[in-house]
Formats: sequence, C-alpha cells, structure tokens
Amino acid sequence: MNDTLVFILSGTLAATVPLLYAALGELVAEKTGMLNLGVEGMMAVGAASGFVTVALTGSHALGFAAGAGAAMLVSTLFAVVTLFFYANQVATGLAIGVFGLWLSAAIGKAYEGTTVNALAKLDLGFLSDLPFFGPALFQQDIMVYGSLVVAAALWWMLARTKVGLVIRAVGESPVAAHALGYRVRLIRFAAVAFGGAMAGIGGAYLSTAYTALWADGMVAGRGWIAVALVVFGSWILPRVAAGAYLFGAISLLELSIQGFGFNVPSQLLSASPYIITIVVLALISRNPALIHLNSPMSLGQPWKPSH
Amino acid sequence: MRVTNPLVRLTTAAAIALSASLASTAVYAEKLKIGYIYPSPVGDVGWAKKLDEGREAIEAAFGDQVESVVVENVPEGPDAARVMNQMASSGAGMIMIGSFGYMNDGLKLAKAKPDMTFIHASGYKTAPNFGNFQTRNYESAYVAGMAAGQVTESNTLGVVAAYAIPEVIGIINTFTMGAQRTNPDINVKVVWLNSWFNPAKAQESARSLAAQSADVVFSLYQDTPSVVTVAEEDGFYVINTSSDMKKYAPTKLLASLTIDWGPHFVKQVQATLDGNFEGTAYWGGMADGAVSVSSLSDDLSAEQKAELQGVMDAIASGNFHPYDGPVTAQDGSEKVAAGATLDDGSLLGIDWLVQGVETQLPN
Repeated sequence: MNDTLVFILSGTLAATVPLLYAALGELVAEKTGMLNLGVEGMMAVGAASGFVTVALTGSHALGFAAGAGAAMLVSTLFAVVTLFFYANQVATGLAIGVFGLWLSAAIGKAYEGTTVNALAKLDLGFLSDLPFFGPALFQQDIMVYGSLVVAAALWWMLARTKVGLVIRAVGESPVAAHALGYRVRLIRFAAVAFGGAMAGIGGAYLSTAYTALWADGMVAGRGWIAVALVVFGSWILPRVAAGAYLFGAISLLELSIQGFGFNVPSQLLSASPYIITIVVLALISRNPALIHLNSPMSLGQPWKPSH
Repeated sequence: MRVTNPLVRLTTAAAIALSASLASTAVYAEKLKIGYIYPSPVGDVGWAKKLDEGREAIEAAFGDQVESVVVENVPEGPDAARVMNQMASSGAGMIMIGSFGYMNDGLKLAKAKPDMTFIHASGYKTAPNFGNFQTRNYESAYVAGMAAGQVTESNTLGVVAAYAIPEVIGIINTFTMGAQRTNPDINVKVVWLNSWFNPAKAQESARSLAAQSADVVFSLYQDTPSVVTVAEEDGFYVINTSSDMKKYAPTKLLASLTIDWGPHFVKQVQATLDGNFEGTAYWGGMADGAVSVSSLSDDLSAEQKAELQGVMDAIASGNFHPYDGPVTAQDGSEKVAAGATLDDGSLLGIDWLVQGVETQLPN
C-alpha cells in the first residue's frame, strides 16, 4: 500500500510534466488570443526531434533544445498563416496538428522502437533519502522541478508584470492594444512561438525522460489533453496546473486500482482521468461570469491592422 | 514501398491507383503483387516487425516472382478498408492482413475479389480465399509462467495486457498455470490498458504492478520495449512477446516469447502462385517452430532450465497440452475435467480466467 502511494505520488509528478509544459505554453498563446489546436502535432515533433538529438549526441540538454526549436518552427508556421494570411485559427491549428504527426513520423522513422538513456534523476541529498517522502517526491529529474518553477514564473509574469499586462491586453482587445502602440502581431507571433517551444519540451520529455524511447504515435493524445486543460481551467494558470496534476494522478490511480483487483470495468477506469478532470474543472469554473472574465475576448479571432 | 502516415497514405493510395490504371494494359500477372497492412509502425522490435520479417522470408524465397506493397500504422476501421481496397484495385493478388480488427473489412473485400487470396493475422473467420494465421503463444506463455514461478520471491506476478480478447485471455491463463506448476502459491495481477499502443501507459502499468509487489512483469503484446526498459531500470524481471528484447534488459529479461511467421507465409504464397490456395485456419505452435522461448535468463539454474526444456519438448511432441485438465476458472467452476483437454474451438473463444488470476475480466 505504501509502495503504491509512493508510485502514485512520484509517478504523478513525472506523468504531469509533458502535460504541464504543453498546457502552460498553450495558455500563454491563448492569452494573446491565439487558439493553436496543433499542440498534439507540435509535441510529437518535439518528441521525435528531441529523441533523435539525444540518440545522436547523448546530450539531454541538446535534446530539449532541439525539441523546443523544432516544435517552435512548426508553431511559427501556424503564426504566419493565421497572422499574416488571416487564415481561420481552428482549421489551421488542426492542419498543423496533422502535419506535426506526419513530420514526427518522418523525423523518427529510422529510430522506431529504439531507446536512449533516460534523463538522470537528481540526488537531493538528505531529501532524497527521507523515508516515504524521498522516493515519493525527491527522486525526480530536473525537468519535474523545472516545470514547477516555470509554472510559478509564468503565473508571476502574467499576473504581476507589464509584459503580462500587454499579453492580456492583446488578447482582450487587439484593437485597443494596437491603438496604444503595441505591435499586436509581433506579440501574438512570439506567444505562439513560445507555446510551440513549450509543447516541444513536453514532447521531448516524453521521449527522452519519461519513457526514453521513440515510437510513432507515442504522444497518444496528450496534446489534446493540454488544450482541454487550458479551457477547463478557464485560462487561470493555477487551475490549469491543478488540472494537469489531477489528470496525471487519476491516470496512475486507475492502473493501481486495476492491480488491486477491484471489480470495476477497466474501460470505465481508463476513461476516468478524462471524465473526472473535466467534471472537477467544470465544477470549479461553473460561474459563467468568471469564465467570461477570464476567457480572452479575441480568442480565435483574426485581427487585421487597420492602417 | 512503405507508407507511414495519413497524408502520405492518401496521396500514395492515389498514386497506386493511378499507376495501376496505367500499368494494367501493359503488364499484368506473372509477378504476384502482395499487399501488407500493419496496425503499427515497423520498428526495431514488436508485432509489425515480426510480420515484416514474414514479408522478408517471402521475398527471400520468391525473389522477382513477388512484389511488395507495405502500408504500416493503419488504424482499424475505414482507413484500413480504404488501404486494402486500394491494394486490390492496384492489382495486388494477395493481401497479408496484419491485425485482428481488419477482419470484417478484409473478408468483405475477399468476397468481392474471389481471384485474390488473403491471410489474416489472429482472426477467427475464413472463406475459400481467406485464411487466417495465429500462433499458439499460450504454449510459450506456459513455459514463461513456469520460469516466473521459479524466480519470484513475492509470489506475485504482473501482466500488462492490451485488451481482453480470447487470445490474450488464453495466454494469461497458461502463464498463470505454468507459474502454479513451479510455485503453487502464485497470485497474478493484470492491468488492462484498453489500448494496443500507448508506451507511456504500458510503462506506468508495469511500475504500478511492481509497486504492488509483483517481481515479474509480463509485457503481453506491447509493441515497444517500454515495459522491458523500465524493468531493467527499476530491477524487476520481465517477459515479453513477439521479438527477442534481451538487449533492452540484459540483466532482467527472464524470457522472450518469440514467433516466426516465415514458413507459413512462404507456403501460402506458393499456394497462391500454384492456384491451390485454401482458406484455412493455421495455428502454429512449438511443434512446427512457429513459437519458441528465447533468451532464458541465466539467473535460472541448470535444473530449472532443464525442467522448462522438458515441458517444451513435451508440448512440441504433443505429450503435454497447457490446457490439460483439471482446469479451474476464477469462480471455482471446473472448466476442463481431469484427463480431458480444452479443444481448439473453445480455446479460440475463451472468455474466462483461471483461478490464481486476481484481476477480473473487464466486462
């Protein structure tokens, strides 16, 4: 029982990392009004590029850089098409998602089914040696703790800094932001690129740290979960992060429940992370005024400079 | 030619159709065009890789007499039907259908194209030009179960399984019965993934089983080495199916249950070329070398290995069948009486787990 609790706690911290990076990146993009539905494809490109880089160089830092860079390139494609050619964001995002899956298969083709050494776990001294809490919380790799730092930094940036204010202003009213002299398209472009890089890091974590292997299709829907988390977390960062941890925890709890032999249909258990996360997030966000206040007003709408 | 993904697949399908309409007047027949459709990408190891080794065996045997068209990673459903129809309309004379879920679409095509021949992996329907093939993996699983029973210290074994289809259930049963033969107190826990392909979830499942004191985990029909690598990392024994995965867990691989489709595929192609193909149900086992156990761990003693070899010989010679009675189901009811053996028909539709498996079927 103790071992299972350790497994769920430590597993949740790691399982949530890909979701958290991708969802936080998507959140920043959406805060500027850019709805990029191609997260699944960008994660896949990040996973494949990151894996191939680690396989070739043995450097996990380079792997994350390559994953972030490659997925960012894919996301800039989305930014260019929607910002400068005024294409529909939903349709473009879906196309980018499919394109990304194809691209990842092509990048990883020669590496299908192969493995690399997983990103090393940090030794946090006495913390790692603590009974129960050590294995549960303090025997993780750097990206696990990094994701928490990034989440906190982004929360501070969005809520407390001028950059955050400008990002939110662009998302609320590109017309007003433009009139004030802010370069709306540049800001949106940068936010989309940031979102792409974050999705790429999430994907690379999956392929070089979490499972440390490349297999076409291994992202397995996590990009879609990330997009859903942003919406169901009603664009409030701590809720999005909490939703990601909830999803991670329940998906591991489900496996443990099966192992304990409870007579619950496993199909229902397999669906439970989706159901419970959506229900919980919907319940905490059920106030329509709150959603209205937090949803970026210009989300998904093309904007053309008037002069 | 190999096609990996939806977009390219569509364009290639169009290209195949186009080249077929151009080519059909020029050259026809002589060369047998064989289509291969796989549910997952052909990797270093795994299910699709084993099927693809069957293709290599065909090409090695027939050389210029055959031409291959491979489409991998095809989802079951309309995509698969479209890919197979495209193969047929582009002049394929034979199709190797690589997944259970392609069965009905494949059979429909077989009825519309009586001149073509079809061999289908792991299905249960046949037609005069539509045969199926499976391996008796329950035989090798029994031996692996014996090995697991020999090495376990916690008396708890874990199974990471995809879906509760008869083939998978039949394997979990013999794995359990084999373990009980060498260790009567065995307890088997199963995690159903409800997915054929999710490496991260397979790995999480293996870890969750290990956390529940399983010290041997059976990676059943997981195409990637995800479970095998985590076993090496976390230090529990692992057994896998399809390919030999020793290199992914040099110290912790207990055994690999490998299969070899080559000889059967070659026979079916020969029959197609000779015009005497019959849609039969082929079920290869240890007797004809289609199923074997490889890379038995050196942690097993010589006596233990000898005990396993004895059972393998008995299975191959027909002296022993893993479903020799008495066999008791989870609920305590006797499914096979002492002295009797479960027949192939019942085995093909098996929908009950044996006593000793703790997890229920997901129904």
